[in-house]
Amino acid sequence: MNPILEIKNLKTRFYTQDGVVKAVNDVSYTMSSGEILGVVGESGCGKSVHALSMMQLIPDPPGKITNGEIWFDGRDLLTLNEDQMQKVRGRDIAMIFQDPMTSLNPVFTVGFQIVEALLLHNDMTKEEAKERAGDLLNLVGIPGAKQRLNDYPHQFSGGMRQRAMIAMGLSCEPRLLIADEPTTALDVTIQAQIIDLVKKLQDELGMAIMWITHDLGVVAELAHTINVMYAGSIIETGKIRNIYKQTRHPYTIGLLGSLPRLDDSPGTELVSIPGLPPDLVALPKGCPFAARCGYRIDQCLTEKPPLVEIDGENHSVACWRWEEIAGMGSK
Amino acid sequence: MVLFVSSATLSHYFWKYEPKKDLDYSLKLKAPNLTVTEEIPSIHLFGTDKLGRDIFRRVVHGGWNSLRVGIVAVGISLFFGGAVGLMSGFYETVTMTMIERLVLFGATGFLLGFLSAWIANQYFQLVLYTGLGLAAGYYQDLFKGKFLRMVVFGILGAFFSAVPGLFISPTVALICGLWGLFTGVLLSRPLDGKFFSNVMMRLMDIVLSFPGYLLAIAIVAFLGPGLGKGMIAIGVVGIPVYARLTRSVVLAIIHKEYILAAQSVGESHGRIIFRHVTPNILSPIIVQTTMGLASAILSAAALGFLGLGAIPPEPEWGAMLGESYRYLTSGAWWAVLFPGLAIMLSVLGFNLLGDGLRDALDPKLRT
Repeated sequence: MNPILEIKNLKTRFYTQDGVVKAVNDVSYTMSSGEILGVVGESGCGKSVHALSMMQLIPDPPGKITNGEIWFDGRDLLTLNEDQMQKVRGRDIAMIFQDPMTSLNPVFTVGFQIVEALLLHNDMTKEEAKERAGDLLNLVGIPGAKQRLNDYPHQFSGGMRQRAMIAMGLSCEPRLLIADEPTTALDVTIQAQIIDLVKKLQDELGMAIMWITHDLGVVAELAHTINVMYAGSIIETGKIRNIYKQTRHPYTIGLLGSLPRLDDSPGTELVSIPGLPPDLVALPKGCPFAARCGYRIDQCLTEKPPLVEIDGENHSVACWRWEEIAGMGSK
Repeated sequence: MVLFVSSATLSHYFWKYEPKKDLDYSLKLKAPNLTVTEEIPSIHLFGTDKLGRDIFRRVVHGGWNSLRVGIVAVGISLFFGGAVGLMSGFYETVTMTMIERLVLFGATGFLLGFLSAWIANQYFQLVLYTGLGLAAGYYQDLFKGKFLRMVVFGILGAFFSAVPGLFISPTVALICGLWGLFTGVLLSRPLDGKFFSNVMMRLMDIVLSFPGYLLAIAIVAFLGPGLGKGMIAIGVVGIPVYARLTRSVVLAIIHKEYILAAQSVGESHGRIIFRHVTPNILSPIIVQTTMGLASAILSAAALGFLGLGAIPPEPEWGAMLGESYRYLTSGAWWAVLFPGLAIMLSVLGFNLLGDGLRDALDPKLRT
């Protein structure tokens, strides 16, 4: 498959009063068209910031993209100016946000907002746009879509708002949809519905999806590929099967270990990763995970491990001891 | 409130009053009377003033002027203050598009060019300065981040204003050249983002640092007295209040996700500002506007009292007070009481309206 998105050495910094927050450090990866990529990591690991960097929606000041290239469709997005970016946003890359409660403007009807998004990039009349907005709401599974167009966001439930947001994101049939923790604020049943919906939509429309989440369980059902991020860097990436079956990075092992499993016997305590993520203002010299890692050796404290491919299937790990960890036969 | 607004409006349209004709020295300073007597052939509900004019009529008609001053002055403050606040709040963290950059840099060049053009008395220099600004805005990546950029634009600026200055005199050329150098260096810097919003707000702070009435009086002294100029003066004084208020509420909602969502579907800045930002910040501004009406009326009265508002025969509450307070000691209480009461009641009314609106519009108080 041909790559739709290629990120090279992306660095994003926030210049705050307390120092420079190194939010994204040298992130590089490629996405193919039609691929579903899961970006996983705990809060503050740079997942959302790297996505916002792609859209150039980092608040500046204090944020700044200091280095890198983001190739999308033969163009480096970072060299585009605001006018050109406005054409890319929504039409080529769309984004769905975490909190459906605040991502719709409370003073306009849902229909108005979808119609507005439609009219921005499509050459159609208001009536056609209204028609299409109804179809979109129908597509995302809102019952009585045509009537609900005239509702205000507060008349929608959380799940419905997120569906409306997805409809808005899909309105211009983007080739890449970035979903920034779209199910985090929803309860589990709604979460499952949204995941099914996104799967179905991806089958029908065939766009690439970047699904940002902190929940490995969610992407397990959905993604083809997974990037695990920690302290602004990708520490493990690979096909979903490899990540779950041949986990090589201690952090990913820890993340998987902290998930409840159906085959756990009752009463088993969940394993948590000890310690806290490092301060992004003062990142340690070596591996950012070293302080919390059970496999730590002296080299980890002094040298940052590079992301190296470990098999022929694009499974890469940034750990000095991945071979030994592989040898230990971790789950 | 209703009584005030309707009496002011209705009297203006349906009860013609010509202040210049309303003179009767024989009736000067009469106390309020409710019956016609031989001595006073007409009813004067509020008495008469020193020129024998009916105070009731003047109070009612003065209401129209007060209302007008209030609305126009608040309109001026709201329009300019709102624009400054919106822009400085919005563009603080949002990257400008090319057109917005061009407008900003061009306008900066144009405004800075005034000094040089004025010194050399060559107003075509404005074109050069504006052009320099536009160029700096357009070629934003030329020698970006390098000292060379500052040098290039500085020299260009100095050249553009010194050469025409040479036709006047070497001194003029020197001063204009230095100013051009300064302008060029400034234009070579990134003026958008935080810098822009800081400059806007510091300008507002400068206005705010003058005592309000003093500034209003200074503006009136500069423009000359008259109701219209009083409106401008009061309006200008009020601009920073609205700018600060607007900016603060813009900053409060700019990081809401629906603004981010609007950006992420590719909406233009104008649309975001007018469709998404403005409607969501209206309620505190509406409240402030009603309160502002009251203080504008009060300011107008103060200016009138000092003889800087309406030009004399025109009825205006403050001016009526100013004309009559001297007669208070000789027992003519009515000439001062009624205009004063009118000011007080209308200000109180607008303040209560503002309070009421705040209660009605504040979602925290709504259940």
